Amino acid sequence: MTLSKPFGCIRCLSVAAIVIGLGGIGFVYSGLYPMHADVPHNDFTYWVLETLRERSIDRASGNIQVPADIDSSDRLLAGGADYNDMCAGCHLSPGQKDSDLSLGLYPAPPNLAAAPGEHGDEPTQQAQRRFWIIKHGIKGSGMPAWGSGHDDDRIWNMVAFLEKLPALSPEQYQILSARAETGDGHH
Amino acid sequence: MKNLIITILTLFSIMALASTAQAHDPKEHMKDAEKPNCAAMKDMDHSKMDMNDPVMQAMMKQCMASMHGDDEASEASPGDHDEHMKHDAPPNDDETSAAPDDNHHEKPEASEETPGAEHSH
Repeated sequence: MTLSKPFGCIRCLSVAAIVIGLGGIGFVYSGLYPMHADVPHNDFTYWVLETLRERSIDRASGNIQVPADIDSSDRLLAGGADYNDMCAGCHLSPGQKDSDLSLGLYPAPPNLAAAPGEHGDEPTQQAQRRFWIIKHGIKGSGMPAWGSGHDDDRIWNMVAFLEKLPALSPEQYQILSARAETGDGHH
Repeated sequence: MKNLIITILTLFSIMALASTAQAHDPKEHMKDAEKPNCAAMKDMDHSKMDMNDPVMQAMMKQCMASMHGDDEASEASPGDHDEHMKHDAPPNDDETSAAPDDNHHEKPEASEETPGAEHSH
């Protein structure tokens, strides 16, 4: 009994898919893939992971409503101290070139004090993305989800600070990121 | 005996929960907080300062607030600080001359994520 051509082709593809699938599972269990952070991914893996991350963040953050007062000085001031306490260790501050964490983490955390607009996004899109990333974190990158202990308003304050951060001098950064005792709960 | 164990476990759970809730309270950071170095503003080029710039406004507020805190702590005469701030402050900028108690920012009209975005990851 002979099989028709289309059926034979489907059978070949099925066998190939099963072999590839079993090979992939075997590779995962073999432990051959280098997971140490001081060895970068190969180009293909990096592209897959980066594209996965960027597309996921774009999709999830697209409908976030940016507050109208995102450029206010109050938000900027409120976000500075939190950035200094929670973010500067990895994402650096004006005048700082690297830190133990920025050197050791892989993928390397972006230098937010130097980069004036990541990914070439529009300001609104960039604010949406930053809010989402701060709130939800990113799997497997070292970026925590700060939303578990910080409300949305506090996260928006950090987003407001990030927008001005690349333009700040070290002196301006020191003033804005210090926690002044105001007695009104502002900081 | 069983009730005692349950009571102890409940107490520990409540204590652990309470400490978690306070973990990111800004006041927790006040212990080793660095004070703003407002003296650095004197060395900045005042001709390039735009008082409509949120960065400049925020710096003025920070230094006003810091000096206000120093005043309360030391109970010193406010005259010196007022004189100092006249040097840095713009002549007619209401926001920068606001008292620290006026520093509350208004809630944004819509600052939260949409439900769709919240559940879409």
